Amino acid sequence: MSDFARHPAGVAGAILLTIIALAVLFGPLVAPYDPQAFHTTVRLQGPSADHWLGTDQFGRDLLSRLLFGARSTIAFGVGATMISVIAGSLIGVTAGVVGGWIDSVIMRGLDGMLAVPDLLFVLLIVTMLGAGTGEAMLAVSIAFTPGMARISRSSVLSIRTREYVLAAVARGESQRYIILSEVIPNAIGPIIVEGTIRVSFAIMIGATLGFLGMGAQPPSTEWGLMVSEARQFMYRSPWVVAVPGLAIAVAAMGFNLFGDALRDAFDPRRSR
Amino acid sequence: MIKSLKQFTKTRSEMVRGMAVAVGLAAVLALPGTGFAQNETPKVGGVLKIAHSTRIATMNVLNLSGPAEYPAIDMLYSGLTRIGMDNHPHPDLAESWSANSDATVFDFKLRPNVTFHDGTPLTSDDVVATFEAIQDPARGASARSVLTMVEKVEAIDNLTVRFTLTVSYADLPVAVAHANARIISAKALAGPKENLENKPNGTGPFKLESYDSSRMTRLVRNDNYFIEGVPYLDAVELHLFPDLTAQSANYLSGNMDVLLAVEQADYDRIDKAPGSNALRVASGRFVNVVMRFDQKPFDDVRVRKALAMSIDRQTLVDVILEGLGRPARDNILSPEYAYVIDSPEIPYDTAAAKQLLADAGYPDGIKIDLVASNRPAIRGQVAIAIKQMALPAGFDINVKSMPHDTYLANYWRKGNFYMAYWGMRSTPDGAFTLLLTSDASYEDTAWNNKEFDAIVAKARSTPDDSERAQLYAEAQKLILRDTPYIIPFFQDVLTASRDGVKGWVVHPLNRVYYIESVWLDRN
Amino acid sequence: MSLGYLTRRLFSVLLVLVIVSFAVFAITMILPGNAAVMILGEYATEDQLLALAEVLGLNRPWYIQYFEWAGNILQADWGMSLRLSLPVGEVVGDAFWNSASLAVTALVTVIIVAIPLGILAALYRGSKVDLGIGLFAYVGTAMPEFVTATLLLVFLAGSAGGYLPAGGFIAPNESFPGFVSHVILPAGTLGLILMAHIARQVRSEMSDVLASDYIRAARLKGLRERTVIRRHALPNSLAPAVAVISLDIGYLLGGIIVVEEIFAWPGLGRLLIYALENRDLPVIQAITLLLAAVYALSNLFSDLAIAALDPRVRY
Repeated sequence: MSDFARHPAGVAGAILLTIIALAVLFGPLVAPYDPQAFHTTVRLQGPSADHWLGTDQFGRDLLSRLLFGARSTIAFGVGATMISVIAGSLIGVTAGVVGGWIDSVIMRGLDGMLAVPDLLFVLLIVTMLGAGTGEAMLAVSIAFTPGMARISRSSVLSIRTREYVLAAVARGESQRYIILSEVIPNAIGPIIVEGTIRVSFAIMIGATLGFLGMGAQPPSTEWGLMVSEARQFMYRSPWVVAVPGLAIAVAAMGFNLFGDALRDAFDPRRSR
Repeated sequence: MIKSLKQFTKTRSEMVRGMAVAVGLAAVLALPGTGFAQNETPKVGGVLKIAHSTRIATMNVLNLSGPAEYPAIDMLYSGLTRIGMDNHPHPDLAESWSANSDATVFDFKLRPNVTFHDGTPLTSDDVVATFEAIQDPARGASARSVLTMVEKVEAIDNLTVRFTLTVSYADLPVAVAHANARIISAKALAGPKENLENKPNGTGPFKLESYDSSRMTRLVRNDNYFIEGVPYLDAVELHLFPDLTAQSANYLSGNMDVLLAVEQADYDRIDKAPGSNALRVASGRFVNVVMRFDQKPFDDVRVRKALAMSIDRQTLVDVILEGLGRPARDNILSPEYAYVIDSPEIPYDTAAAKQLLADAGYPDGIKIDLVASNRPAIRGQVAIAIKQMALPAGFDINVKSMPHDTYLANYWRKGNFYMAYWGMRSTPDGAFTLLLTSDASYEDTAWNNKEFDAIVAKARSTPDDSERAQLYAEAQKLILRDTPYIIPFFQDVLTASRDGVKGWVVHPLNRVYYIESVWLDRN
Repeated sequence: MSLGYLTRRLFSVLLVLVIVSFAVFAITMILPGNAAVMILGEYATEDQLLALAEVLGLNRPWYIQYFEWAGNILQADWGMSLRLSLPVGEVVGDAFWNSASLAVTALVTVIIVAIPLGILAALYRGSKVDLGIGLFAYVGTAMPEFVTATLLLVFLAGSAGGYLPAGGFIAPNESFPGFVSHVILPAGTLGLILMAHIARQVRSEMSDVLASDYIRAARLKGLRERTVIRRHALPNSLAPAVAVISLDIGYLLGGIIVVEEIFAWPGLGRLLIYALENRDLPVIQAITLLLAAVYALSNLFSDLAIAALDPRVRY
């Protein structure tokens, strides 16, 4: 783990994530204005003393909208990924531990779901469920679950043959004990790594859905929706697009860097 | 450049007598769309490229409603009459018309020797078939709602069509000028539906050469068009850019000649860009807030008035329309309509609104969902603005945006509080019978006011102009008293064309374009 | 690799497609609106809607609709688009070729650019070059396509920049230079994230390989560095790159949806969005199946390619 601190990418990622976590936790408390309040005399302004990041087409303060929107955007990504991690791990671990024909059936099903590209899958589910933040989050978690199931399963499979597991089997421990005490603690590493990287994808997909009008709905301050609404005002004030766009990129980058660093830290065999 | 409009409908006697004049005019100018100074000689030739952002999904003139579909069929089809920029019906396929003394029977005389694009000649049978299709409920024709007074359409001879009406209706020539009431051949109407959608066969100045709804639709000059000398253009191309940024970028770079619909946010930039001329046409189209009378809380007119007072209309015009419109005062008729009366100003006074709410039994305000479809996006924008503005008055509004089809399936004409969006109509009667009478085609506010119904029915069949004016004034007073809708503004029609494009205009109804009068001067 | 393996893989691809088709069908059955609602819009009355739905065949029980559709597919009849009243095969076919031209251009550019970048970064590990490429890779993966597309549009296209056309499409057979100028921005947007992925992957594989005993032995043998890289390091690094490329095809298929919408490229992505909005079931089905098939087949292809490149892998 001391490797981790020497890893500049990991440190950068950790810093970004800390900033983001602060925004998510305390954003609404420190935001200078009500994110929905109109200030119609200062529409589409760049940064100024009153509005540090400028204002949008209704005169709403961009900084405040950004801080409030951190929750919708990030929580969306983290929430969707966590659901998929939990659901996927349950499925994958079960398949890996139980084996046999149950495993085969589950694998076929997973292959079927994995055959459809992510965004396409999400679009189909969101169309069915209707547009909205909750629906979009559910759609993304459904789309990510097969991938997470796959990873947890292969993780379990590789652990199954390890010495400590074989020892537990030889000792006569119950399958439940083996799963809970031996398999899961050791399988968690790759799952967490993959999950962290997936959060950045989930954030980007959530923002894309907001952009397409199928995710968060106005007047939500979700960052992808902010970009979508702001595009037609791009030429009058590039800040309306740049601010939320860069925020999305920074958040995705933070999770990406951190996840990569985690992966390198967990797997000492890999060279840098 | 703002085009202002005058009287919208002719009086009955003028209508009936004006035919000779109309025919004369038609022969000489032949251009109902002439809205520019005729001091230059039009040049023949060239291809006009029009950029638009909504797909041309169909060319079925009976029921299409897309913003880019109207210019297409305006070029492909002709009607019996056509609305001019002077807002009078002009001869199109009918070169003259006459009516009996109480305007219950109209005879339209068709131009001779008109052919459809496929060569078949136009006869009165085609007109009869078209209007029968319009009146057939299974066809879903948009023009049906303005032709409910037509009892029978028959071919008197090869070139004469007789309309028999159930009531006296002097404005029939305006009604048949409806943009979706264009004449289709009887053969096409009897044929497969796909042909109506994809292989339009009309009598218009242009005919279809190629149609790729995902990219570009190309129309070419109809050399057999029944008016000599036009169209000037060799061809017109309609290019689809679903992304607004890409659309305006292509127009500004000179790749496209016309930007069909300019967004409010871009108008200033497009007007100021070199080589580009933006055009703004005052129109009566609006976004309205629907509040159902038969459910709480809007069953109490005080609540309706309270909300009406909680909306800062000028700010809406400034912020959402970027000034490209006019504040409205809940009268469904904009200043351009005939017989329109002055409406009293409605101040933005949240304190008074709060008091009214308390009087109506809501001292702690009202919490309610406001539904807004995402098409067009302006519905949601106005809803959000209303939410903010009405907050101090005690209205706690939760804006629910949703995809258009969910709205159509679950809320339209059912919900008690949602945003609607309507274009302009040709006559007050058209507007009233579309939305406000008890049996209106798209009635959704449950006003069901018998007095209003009676006035509208009477005015329809009143030949005397001043009596009509009085009746319509009473009708509007009822509207202003009960506030069936909140109408915060009238939105201008915005379009743009480049230098070198002559004669590009759009009618305030936003459905008629006169592209046969457009010519190119590229040097 | 055995014929048996190939057959089994193809069969599972087919099975997967059947499952996908059923799932898509189920999804569209649950939707609140239907195609008739979208076609008639506000101007519809109840009986008009019912009449149109009848004409479109939407009132029949779901299993009848599904099996009729499936049966037609097997006879290569993809049905009629409900919204556009055109044969689905025609509409989707045209869109497919347009998307293919975009995707292939993006992929080719990516491979040409990303692989050398990854190799460079591995060779000069720890240097500024490596850092620069690393930075590009990280930023590239973090920008959603709509942000990249918007920035490219503002800076490189339209009246301000004026260098490149702001969206639109010209078929390669109509005018090749026209096609190229219109494809640059959308392909660049699509390619950015891919380039980042692949460059990183190549770099990390190459670094591993360069540090391996195998390469040390080659160097100790006295071979020139260039030969070492060309004949020993590269082939072994490329196999995983092929795997990543095929995984990224999945990403590509998602990315075209947004990119085509923004750049007005008349491909499958834009058609899909339009079909979803309008509940045009036959078109949604056809596009989903097509994309799933492309993805499944590209996975299969990459497995075969890896087997060809890496003698240690045996099927």
